[in-house]
Amino acid sequence: MFEQLAGLLTHLGEKRIAVLNLSGFEIRFDVMTILMSWLVMALLVLLAVFLRRGLRQRVEEKPNRVQAGLDILVDLIKGQLTSNFASERLAVSMFPFIATLFLFVLLSNWLGVVPYMMSPTQDLNVTMGLALMVFVVSQVLAVKAKGARGYLRSYIEPVPFLLPLNIIGEISKPMSHAFRLFGNILAGSILVTVVMVKFAPIVFPPILQVVFGLFFGAIQAFVFAILAVAYINVAVES
Amino acid sequence: MLQEAQNAGVAITGADLIVAAKYLAAGFCMAIGSIGSAIGEGMVAAHALDGMARQPEMQGALMRTMVLGQAITESTGIYSLLVAIVLLFVV
Repeated sequence: MFEQLAGLLTHLGEKRIAVLNLSGFEIRFDVMTILMSWLVMALLVLLAVFLRRGLRQRVEEKPNRVQAGLDILVDLIKGQLTSNFASERLAVSMFPFIATLFLFVLLSNWLGVVPYMMSPTQDLNVTMGLALMVFVVSQVLAVKAKGARGYLRSYIEPVPFLLPLNIIGEISKPMSHAFRLFGNILAGSILVTVVMVKFAPIVFPPILQVVFGLFFGAIQAFVFAILAVAYINVAVES
Repeated sequence: MLQEAQNAGVAITGADLIVAAKYLAAGFCMAIGSIGSAIGEGMVAAHALDGMARQPEMQGALMRTMVLGQAITESTGIYSLLVAIVLLFVV
Protein backbone atom coordinates (compact mmCIF):
# COMPACT_ATOMS: atom_id res chain seq x y z
CA MET A 1 0.00 0.00 0.00
CA PHE A 2 2.78 2.43 0.90
CA GLU A 3 4.60 1.82 -2.38
CA GLN A 4 1.42 2.72 -4.23
CA LEU A 5 1.16 5.93 -2.21
CA ALA A 6 4.78 6.86 -2.98
CA GLY A 7 3.91 6.39 -6.64
CA LEU A 8 1.19 9.00 -6.21
CA LEU A 9 3.76 11.57 -5.15
CA THR A 10 6.22 10.90 -7.95
CA HIS A 11 3.42 11.16 -10.51
CA LEU A 12 2.06 14.37 -8.95
CA GLY A 13 1.19 16.93 -11.59
CA GLU A 14 1.85 14.57 -14.48
CA LYS A 15 -0.59 14.68 -17.34
CA ARG A 16 -1.60 12.05 -19.87
CA ILE A 17 -1.50 13.96 -23.11
CA ALA A 18 -3.08 12.42 -26.17
CA VAL A 19 -2.09 13.71 -29.60
CA LEU A 20 -4.58 13.67 -32.42
CA ASN A 21 -2.84 14.04 -35.78
CA LEU A 22 -5.03 15.51 -38.49
CA SER A 23 -2.68 15.41 -41.50
CA GLY A 24 0.08 17.52 -40.00
CA PHE A 25 -2.21 19.56 -37.74
CA GLU A 26 -1.68 18.30 -34.21
CA ILE A 27 -4.34 18.55 -31.54
CA ARG A 28 -3.17 17.86 -28.00
CA PHE A 29 -5.55 17.21 -25.17
CA ASP A 30 -5.48 15.92 -21.61
CA VAL A 31 -7.34 12.61 -21.52
CA MET A 32 -8.09 12.64 -17.81
CA THR A 33 -9.54 16.16 -17.83
CA ILE A 34 -11.81 15.44 -20.79
CA LEU A 35 -13.04 12.14 -19.31
CA MET A 36 -13.73 13.78 -15.95
CA SER A 37 -15.58 16.75 -17.48
CA TRP A 38 -17.69 14.32 -19.52
CA LEU A 39 -18.40 12.43 -16.32
CA VAL A 40 -19.53 15.61 -14.58
CA MET A 41 -21.75 16.51 -17.53
CA ALA A 42 -23.23 13.00 -17.62
CA LEU A 43 -23.89 13.14 -13.87
CA LEU A 44 -25.63 16.50 -14.21
CA VAL A 45 -27.78 15.32 -17.11
CA LEU A 46 -28.67 12.07 -15.31
CA LEU A 47 -29.51 14.01 -12.16
CA ALA A 48 -31.72 16.36 -14.15
CA VAL A 49 -33.56 13.48 -15.86
CA PHE A 50 -33.96 11.61 -12.58
CA LEU A 51 -35.27 14.63 -10.72
CA ARG A 52 -37.60 15.55 -13.57
CA ARG A 53 -39.11 12.06 -13.42
CA GLY A 54 -39.65 12.41 -9.68
CA LEU A 55 -41.39 15.72 -10.27
CA ARG A 56 -44.26 14.15 -12.21
CA GLN A 57 -47.26 15.20 -10.15
CA ARG A 58 -50.34 17.35 -10.39
CA VAL A 59 -50.12 21.00 -9.41
CA GLU A 60 -52.88 20.89 -6.79
CA GLU A 61 -51.25 18.05 -4.85
CA LYS A 62 -48.89 18.91 -2.05
CA PRO A 63 -45.20 18.92 -3.11
CA ASN A 64 -43.33 15.64 -2.87
CA ARG A 65 -39.78 15.20 -1.62
CA VAL A 66 -38.06 15.79 -4.96
CA GLN A 67 -39.91 19.03 -5.48
CA ALA A 68 -39.12 20.22 -1.96
CA GLY A 69 -35.41 19.52 -2.54
CA LEU A 70 -35.40 21.26 -5.90
CA ASP A 71 -37.20 24.23 -4.35
CA ILE A 72 -34.40 24.59 -1.82
CA LEU A 73 -31.75 24.47 -4.57
CA VAL A 74 -33.51 26.98 -6.80
CA ASP A 75 -34.21 29.26 -3.85
CA LEU A 76 -30.53 29.12 -2.88
CA ILE A 77 -29.34 30.08 -6.36
CA LYS A 78 -32.04 32.73 -6.77
CA GLY A 79 -31.67 34.25 -3.32
CA GLN A 80 -27.88 34.17 -3.02
CA LEU A 81 -26.64 34.52 -6.60
CA THR A 82 -29.01 35.98 -9.17
CA SER A 83 -30.67 38.40 -6.73
CA ASN A 84 -27.48 40.46 -7.00
CA PHE A 85 -28.25 41.41 -10.60
CA ALA A 86 -29.17 45.03 -11.19
CA SER A 87 -32.54 44.37 -12.83
CA GLU A 88 -35.13 41.67 -12.38
CA ARG A 89 -35.26 41.04 -16.14
CA LEU A 90 -31.51 40.37 -16.26
CA ALA A 91 -31.76 38.08 -13.23
CA VAL A 92 -34.50 35.99 -14.87
CA SER A 93 -32.70 35.76 -18.21
CA MET A 94 -29.31 34.89 -16.65
CA PHE A 95 -30.62 32.38 -14.10
CA PRO A 96 -30.01 29.22 -16.24
CA PHE A 97 -26.45 30.30 -17.11
CA ILE A 98 -25.44 31.11 -13.53
CA ALA A 99 -27.14 27.99 -12.14
CA THR A 100 -25.36 25.80 -14.71
CA LEU A 101 -22.00 27.37 -13.92
CA PHE A 102 -22.55 26.89 -10.20
CA LEU A 103 -23.67 23.26 -10.48
CA PHE A 104 -20.91 22.32 -12.93
CA VAL A 105 -18.14 23.84 -10.82
CA LEU A 106 -19.62 22.43 -7.60
CA LEU A 107 -19.83 18.89 -8.97
CA SER A 108 -16.35 19.14 -10.54
CA ASN A 109 -14.83 20.23 -7.24
CA TRP A 110 -16.58 17.47 -5.35
CA LEU A 111 -15.50 14.83 -7.87
CA GLY A 112 -11.90 15.18 -6.64
CA VAL A 113 -12.92 13.59 -3.32
CA VAL A 114 -13.73 10.25 -4.97
CA PRO A 115 -10.68 7.96 -5.17
CA TYR A 116 -9.16 7.53 -8.67
CA MET A 117 -11.10 10.57 -9.84
CA MET A 118 -9.75 14.03 -10.52
CA SER A 119 -11.45 17.40 -10.42
CA PRO A 120 -11.65 18.76 -13.96
CA THR A 121 -11.26 22.21 -12.39
CA GLN A 122 -7.67 21.45 -11.38
CA ASP A 123 -6.82 21.85 -15.07
CA LEU A 124 -6.30 25.47 -16.07
CA ASN A 125 -7.90 24.87 -19.47
CA VAL A 126 -11.27 24.02 -17.93
CA THR A 127 -11.41 27.02 -15.60
CA MET A 128 -10.10 29.33 -18.33
CA GLY A 129 -12.82 28.03 -20.66
CA LEU A 130 -15.50 28.76 -18.07
CA ALA A 131 -14.07 32.20 -17.35
CA LEU A 132 -13.87 33.04 -21.08
CA MET A 133 -17.51 32.01 -21.41
CA VAL A 134 -18.44 34.51 -18.68
CA PHE A 135 -16.22 37.12 -20.37
CA VAL A 136 -17.92 36.71 -23.76
CA VAL A 137 -21.38 36.80 -22.19
CA SER A 138 -20.55 39.98 -20.24
CA GLN A 139 -19.09 41.74 -23.33
CA VAL A 140 -22.05 40.78 -25.53
CA LEU A 141 -24.52 41.97 -22.90
CA ALA A 142 -22.54 45.20 -22.47
CA VAL A 143 -22.73 45.91 -26.22
CA LYS A 144 -26.46 45.11 -26.14
CA ALA A 145 -27.12 47.35 -23.14
CA LYS A 146 -25.02 50.36 -24.14
CA GLY A 147 -24.89 50.10 -27.92
CA ALA A 148 -21.64 49.78 -29.90
CA ARG A 149 -20.81 53.48 -29.50
CA GLY A 150 -21.44 53.55 -25.77
CA TYR A 151 -19.49 50.32 -25.35
CA LEU A 152 -16.44 51.70 -27.15
CA ARG A 153 -16.73 54.98 -25.28
CA SER A 154 -16.62 53.14 -21.95
CA TYR A 155 -12.98 52.30 -22.73
CA ILE A 156 -11.86 55.95 -22.96
CA GLU A 157 -13.61 57.02 -19.77
CA PRO A 158 -12.86 59.06 -17.73
CA VAL A 159 -9.98 60.25 -19.97
CA PRO A 160 -8.67 58.74 -23.28
CA PHE A 161 -5.23 58.54 -21.68
CA LEU A 162 -6.47 55.55 -19.60
CA LEU A 163 -7.32 53.37 -22.62
CA PRO A 164 -4.50 50.80 -22.11
CA LEU A 165 -5.32 50.52 -18.41
CA ASN A 166 -8.99 49.89 -19.17
CA ILE A 167 -8.11 47.18 -21.68
CA ILE A 168 -5.74 45.51 -19.20
CA GLY A 169 -8.46 45.72 -16.54
CA GLU A 170 -10.95 43.97 -18.84
CA ILE A 171 -8.49 41.20 -19.72
CA SER A 172 -7.35 40.62 -16.15
CA LYS A 173 -10.91 39.84 -15.05
CA PRO A 174 -11.24 36.41 -16.74
CA MET A 175 -7.61 35.64 -15.90
CA SER A 176 -8.02 36.17 -12.16
CA HIS A 177 -11.42 34.45 -12.34
CA ALA A 178 -9.84 31.33 -13.84
CA PHE A 179 -6.63 31.33 -11.77
CA ARG A 180 -8.51 31.64 -8.48
CA LEU A 181 -10.55 28.46 -8.97
CA PHE A 182 -7.63 26.56 -10.53
CA GLY A 183 -5.16 27.52 -7.79
CA ASN A 184 -7.51 26.66 -4.96
CA ILE A 185 -8.47 23.23 -6.26
CA LEU A 186 -4.94 22.31 -7.38
CA ALA A 187 -3.45 23.39 -4.04
CA GLY A 188 -6.06 21.35 -2.17
CA SER A 189 -5.34 18.20 -4.16
CA ILE A 190 -1.55 18.62 -3.86
CA LEU A 191 -1.78 19.21 -0.11
CA VAL A 192 -3.98 16.15 0.44
CA THR A 193 -1.64 13.96 -1.64
CA VAL A 194 1.50 15.17 0.13
CA VAL A 195 -0.01 14.69 3.61
CA MET A 196 -1.31 11.27 2.60
CA VAL A 197 2.06 10.07 1.30
CA LYS A 198 4.48 11.75 3.68
CA PHE A 199 2.83 12.15 7.09
CA ALA A 200 -0.34 10.24 7.86
CA PRO A 201 -1.78 7.78 5.36
CA ILE A 202 -4.66 6.54 7.53
CA VAL A 203 -6.60 9.10 9.57
CA PHE A 204 -5.82 12.58 8.29
CA PRO A 205 -6.59 12.37 4.55
CA PRO A 206 -10.37 11.95 4.98
CA ILE A 207 -10.52 14.99 7.27
CA LEU A 208 -8.44 17.04 4.85
CA GLN A 209 -10.60 15.81 1.98
CA VAL A 210 -13.70 17.03 3.77
CA VAL A 211 -12.16 20.44 4.44
CA PHE A 212 -10.42 20.97 1.10
CA GLY A 213 -12.63 18.93 -1.19
CA LEU A 214 -16.17 19.46 0.09
CA PHE A 215 -16.04 22.71 2.09
CA PHE A 216 -13.60 24.76 -0.01
CA GLY A 217 -15.04 23.20 -3.16
CA ALA A 218 -18.51 24.48 -2.28
CA ILE A 219 -17.16 27.91 -1.29
CA GLN A 220 -15.13 28.22 -4.48
CA ALA A 221 -18.08 27.18 -6.65
CA PHE A 222 -20.20 29.81 -4.90
CA VAL A 223 -17.48 32.44 -5.34
CA PHE A 224 -17.03 31.55 -9.01
CA ALA A 225 -20.76 31.98 -9.67
CA ILE A 226 -21.06 35.18 -7.63
CA LEU A 227 -18.05 36.68 -9.41
CA ALA A 228 -19.64 35.82 -12.76
CA VAL A 229 -22.73 37.70 -11.55
CA ALA A 230 -20.59 40.64 -10.46
CA TYR A 231 -18.64 40.83 -13.76
CA ILE A 232 -21.81 40.68 -15.87
CA ASN A 233 -23.42 43.28 -13.62
CA VAL A 234 -20.48 45.68 -13.89
CA ALA A 235 -20.28 45.27 -17.68
CA VAL A 236 -23.99 45.99 -18.13
CA GLU A 237 -24.24 48.78 -15.58
CA SER A 238 -21.25 51.11 -15.90
CA MET B 1 26.48 20.18 4.84
CA LEU B 2 28.96 21.75 2.42
CA GLN B 3 31.81 20.59 4.69
CA GLU B 4 30.42 17.05 4.81
CA ALA B 5 30.09 16.92 1.07
CA GLN B 6 33.64 18.14 0.60
CA ASN B 7 34.91 15.63 3.14
CA ALA B 8 33.10 12.84 1.34
CA GLY B 9 34.73 13.93 -1.87
CA VAL B 10 31.44 14.85 -3.56
CA ALA B 11 31.51 18.11 -5.42
CA ILE B 12 28.46 20.35 -5.32
CA THR B 13 27.57 21.03 -8.91
CA GLY B 14 25.56 23.81 -10.47
CA ALA B 15 22.51 21.55 -10.78
CA ASP B 16 22.45 21.06 -7.01
CA LEU B 17 22.58 24.79 -6.48
CA ILE B 18 19.66 25.27 -8.85
CA VAL B 19 17.59 22.70 -6.95
CA ALA B 20 18.42 24.38 -3.65
CA ALA B 21 17.57 27.81 -5.03
CA LYS B 22 14.30 26.45 -6.41
CA TYR B 23 13.10 25.19 -3.02
CA LEU B 24 14.27 28.35 -1.26
CA ALA B 25 12.51 30.54 -3.79
CA ALA B 26 9.27 28.57 -3.51
CA GLY B 27 9.36 28.83 0.28
CA PHE B 28 10.04 32.58 0.26
CA CYS B 29 7.40 33.07 -2.43
CA MET B 30 4.68 31.56 -0.28
CA ALA B 31 5.92 33.08 2.99
CA ILE B 32 6.08 36.66 1.69
CA GLY B 33 3.24 36.37 -0.77
CA SER B 34 0.67 35.19 1.72
CA ILE B 35 1.26 38.07 4.18
CA GLY B 36 -0.73 40.57 2.19
CA SER B 37 -3.73 38.41 1.48
CA ALA B 38 -3.82 37.19 5.09
CA ILE B 39 -3.91 40.75 6.46
CA GLY B 40 -6.47 41.76 3.85
CA GLU B 41 -8.80 38.86 4.59
CA GLY B 42 -8.50 39.49 8.31
CA MET B 43 -9.50 43.12 7.82
CA VAL B 44 -12.48 42.10 5.70
CA ALA B 45 -13.66 39.64 8.36
CA ALA B 46 -13.11 42.15 11.18
CA HIS B 47 -15.16 44.86 9.51
CA ALA B 48 -17.89 42.41 8.52
CA LEU B 49 -18.08 41.30 12.17
CA ASP B 50 -18.30 44.95 13.22
CA GLY B 51 -21.22 45.43 10.90
CA MET B 52 -22.91 42.23 12.06
CA ALA B 53 -22.58 43.22 15.72
CA ARG B 54 -24.09 46.61 14.96
CA GLN B 55 -26.92 45.31 12.78
CA PRO B 56 -27.55 41.59 13.30
CA GLU B 57 -30.48 41.68 10.84
CA MET B 58 -28.01 42.42 8.00
CA GLN B 59 -26.06 39.21 8.65
CA GLY B 60 -27.00 37.43 5.42
CA ALA B 61 -26.01 40.24 3.09
CA LEU B 62 -22.85 40.99 5.08
CA MET B 63 -21.81 37.35 5.04
CA ARG B 64 -22.24 37.14 1.27
CA THR B 65 -20.29 40.34 0.65
CA MET B 66 -17.61 39.22 3.09
CA VAL B 67 -17.06 35.91 1.30
CA LEU B 68 -16.92 37.69 -2.05
CA GLY B 69 -14.47 40.28 -0.75
CA GLN B 70 -12.28 37.63 0.81
CA ALA B 71 -12.26 35.63 -2.42
CA ILE B 72 -11.09 38.68 -4.35
CA THR B 73 -8.49 39.53 -1.71
CA GLU B 74 -7.28 35.96 -1.78
CA SER B 75 -6.33 36.14 -5.46
CA THR B 76 -2.91 37.73 -4.79
CA GLY B 77 -2.16 34.84 -2.44
CA ILE B 78 -3.29 32.42 -5.13
CA TYR B 79 -0.95 34.09 -7.64
CA SER B 80 2.02 33.58 -5.34
CA LEU B 81 0.90 29.98 -4.81
CA LEU B 82 0.88 29.45 -8.58
CA VAL B 83 4.37 30.92 -8.86
CA ALA B 84 5.53 28.57 -6.09
CA ILE B 85 3.97 25.57 -7.84
CA VAL B 86 5.60 26.56 -11.13
CA LEU B 87 8.95 26.88 -9.32
CA LEU B 88 8.56 23.47 -7.70
CA PHE B 89 7.20 21.39 -10.57
CA VAL B 90 8.04 23.14 -13.82
CA VAL B 91 11.40 24.93 -13.46
